[in-house]
Amino acid sequence: MSDTKSGSDKGFHRRVLESKAGLFTIVTTLAISVGGIVEIVPMFTATAGPEQPDWVTPYTPLEVAGRDIYVREGCYVCHSQWVRPMRAELIRYGEWSRAGEYRYDRPFLLGSRRIGPDLHRVGGKYPDAWHYEHMRDPRSTTPGSVMPPYPWLLEKTIDEDDVAASVRALKSVGTPYTDQQLANVSELLRVQSEAIVQRLAETGVQTEPDREIVALIAYLQRLGVDGRRAIEQGLTSPSVAAPIDTTAREENQ
Amino acid sequence: MEYTNPTKVDESIYDDDIVRMFFGATVLWGVVGMLVGVVIALQLAWWPANLGLPWTTFGRLRPLHTNAVIFAFAGNICFAGIYYSMQRLLKTRMWSDKLSRIHFWGWQAIIVAAAITLPLGLTQSKEYAELIWPIDVVIAVVWVVFAVNFFGTLATRRVKHIYVAIWFYISFVITIAVLHIVNSLAIPATLFRSYPLYSGMTDALVQWWYGHNAVGFFLTTPFLGLMYYFLPRAAERPVYSYRLSIVHFWALVFLYIWTGPHHLLYSGLPDWAQTLGVVFSVMLLAPSWGGMLNGLLTLRGAWHRVRTDPVLKFFVVAVSFYGMSTFEGPMMAIRAVNGLAHFTNWVIGHVHSGALGWVGMMTFGTLYWLVPKLWKRELAYPNMATTHFWLATIGIVLYTVSMWAAGLMEGLMWRAVDDRGLLANPAFMDIVDRLDPFYGLRLLGGLLYLIGAVLMAWNLIKTIAASRAEVRTPSAAPAVP
Amino acid sequence: MRQKADRDRILGHENEADGIQEYDNPLPDWWLGLFWITIIWGVAYLVHYHFIAHRSPEAALAQELAAAELRWAATQASETEAEFVLSAEAVAEGESIFQTYCVACHGANMLGGIGPNLLDDEWIHGGTSEDIVRIITDGVPEKGMVPWGPVLGSDQVNRVAAYVISRNAEALGRDPAEALRPPEGS
Repeated sequence: MSDTKSGSDKGFHRRVLESKAGLFTIVTTLAISVGGIVEIVPMFTATAGPEQPDWVTPYTPLEVAGRDIYVREGCYVCHSQWVRPMRAELIRYGEWSRAGEYRYDRPFLLGSRRIGPDLHRVGGKYPDAWHYEHMRDPRSTTPGSVMPPYPWLLEKTIDEDDVAASVRALKSVGTPYTDQQLANVSELLRVQSEAIVQRLAETGVQTEPDREIVALIAYLQRLGVDGRRAIEQGLTSPSVAAPIDTTAREENQ
Repeated sequence: MEYTNPTKVDESIYDDDIVRMFFGATVLWGVVGMLVGVVIALQLAWWPANLGLPWTTFGRLRPLHTNAVIFAFAGNICFAGIYYSMQRLLKTRMWSDKLSRIHFWGWQAIIVAAAITLPLGLTQSKEYAELIWPIDVVIAVVWVVFAVNFFGTLATRRVKHIYVAIWFYISFVITIAVLHIVNSLAIPATLFRSYPLYSGMTDALVQWWYGHNAVGFFLTTPFLGLMYYFLPRAAERPVYSYRLSIVHFWALVFLYIWTGPHHLLYSGLPDWAQTLGVVFSVMLLAPSWGGMLNGLLTLRGAWHRVRTDPVLKFFVVAVSFYGMSTFEGPMMAIRAVNGLAHFTNWVIGHVHSGALGWVGMMTFGTLYWLVPKLWKRELAYPNMATTHFWLATIGIVLYTVSMWAAGLMEGLMWRAVDDRGLLANPAFMDIVDRLDPFYGLRLLGGLLYLIGAVLMAWNLIKTIAASRAEVRTPSAAPAVP
Repeated sequence: MRQKADRDRILGHENEADGIQEYDNPLPDWWLGLFWITIIWGVAYLVHYHFIAHRSPEAALAQELAAAELRWAATQASETEAEFVLSAEAVAEGESIFQTYCVACHGANMLGGIGPNLLDDEWIHGGTSEDIVRIITDGVPEKGMVPWGPVLGSDQVNRVAAYVISRNAEALGRDPAEALRPPEGS
């Protein structure tokens, strides 16, 4: 075989990079770092990052517990929490999702697949009893649904200490719970869950305040509520943020 | 540094036991991961297959499927292929046999831990990064073990220049470490639960920076490395273009890392970041195709052998699907197309044309090529390998075509409006109902692919068993230094 | 770049690559062209999107909504004014709409469940045809009644209302036309 040095063989790549594995590794590390740094670092700045509005409030302890159940059961595998700014989605689901609405979402649960419908505006859409029946037997409220039933949510109970640990961890990572809230997790759980049990009872559904289904209902009924209120009150960008091209309209009329 | 670069190397200096171990793990976890895939495909077509048990519902099994096929099936073949090829390319034994074993058993322990925790609902919910924080810590440790052994071997190599396959392996080892650590930063609440340092859209961006580059640096670059070693070895032809390999390597590793935001188009992610995701995804087309070209054009002069050699058959289809899905990907990253395709089965079809086509077929080809080298015995049933090839190919076609059609239908029906400007399909269920035939066809495609993998497992087991029965004489026993 | 000499010339690296030989073939022109086109497109798209056209998802939505209003506002307006009709035809069509959308909460037998009973004499939010059309159209958000107007359109809302009124009157042995009259004393 010829061993004459010509063509690409003479280049820097062959002479230097390929013969110095350490240097090659360093250059590779630089090459794979640029994109991530340019995209991720500005997210922590006020100007280039997502808005951090004060019209969104942290989840209550019961909602935190419900969110943990939502994660455990993998609800996000089939349901997105992300209404896109498109007319058809606005009609089907409601207002499109603003960045600030996710401020206290840890982990984020936008989802990537809609085997079932989007849930970002499901809060307040149905009565509590609808969710109760839907989890017990999805086909009782949605004939033909492919969702599996979750009867164990009606039986299993949430653990106060476990919820308190979650709330503490969330506070330590930056969610602004007050010390008072932290000290009163058990009371906060009781008040909110009893209200839901009461509402369920009015529609003939009997359950206990410590059941997982109650926490999950609290979370689902909370979804998208802060955002919707903020949009109604004009605290965030309205549906139509940019000026509409009115000249085109007049020409058509 | 002194590079002796011996022309003749006694093969017995290499540690092939570790390759055999990762080889076996690939076959085992491959069948398991694909079986779970078939089960969850059945669950979508027929919900009672969720079995009414918490740990067998779709929401818990789908992450088990993705983790098993990515980290167990694809991961183990990457390690098998790297341990086999890098020792030979560098003409040296792995730096530390002990670290190799810790890497192997550590990785298998992680897989077993995943198989236990995910059905129990212990998850962080980030796609392909679901495993809970204690397992994340173990992953980081095992990865560092692998990296130390990898770079130790590089440092003690006996050749001066490192071949292109090694470049891709370097990018794999480095980038996965960076991605895993940055995306997994979290504060534990309990032993099983933690909350990420990032919140909301920032968390989403970090996750999809990780998620898309798991595709890029776990399912693409190491497999390109395998392609650069095993394809020319199997075809016995020179690599088409050294120049092209330089250009497409650097372009690929530089551009890939930017593409994550295309998973978040039309979301609350700042618009500038979304645009970067679009633009870099489109620019990734040519660098990806550079790899495809170098694969396919290396086969020049060996095409007549593709007709008879199942290994080359698998490689040809693998590289072709690589080219196809890396064309489809950039198209799906364009805002208008993404608006239609996102959230639909189209994405599932796209992923599987890459996973079943590129990753799976590369793996099968590599396994069939390796078995006679590792066990000194020709394949027990060569015709069965060809049957496997056709089952897998037909399976992929059924899978991807049905999911494309289903996805297109979903996207169009979700947005369709009637002559009053209202939704033509206001009930979400009306659209779900229409997916049944597509889910059925996908199930069939997945089943054919699984049957093929089971045939392969049987074929390989018989080959190895025959070799073991034969190699009872001391002279043929593998040399232990 | 396209030197003939480079065609299929073996570089001689094989001793450092486990015997794998490499050609030094030039980059295919079409491949290089494709790479440049995507790079140029990328830069042009970015500059155009953000700095020339000042596009954004919000602006695109605004345009889409404006276009929809232009196209459909007239039809929707005329529909809203459409008279509520209590015909046998409307009742029959209303039944199938009811079966699809309403049974989940009000029950197939209309005796209620998650939502209230529709066959008794008690109308929580008003019982005239106007009230019922309004309740179905706008919903009762605080009670979890979904606003069906945007989903069904006023035409279909009218029909399902006709069905509810007719079944209610039937159950109570009354004349359905009573619902068309304003309540006594008003």
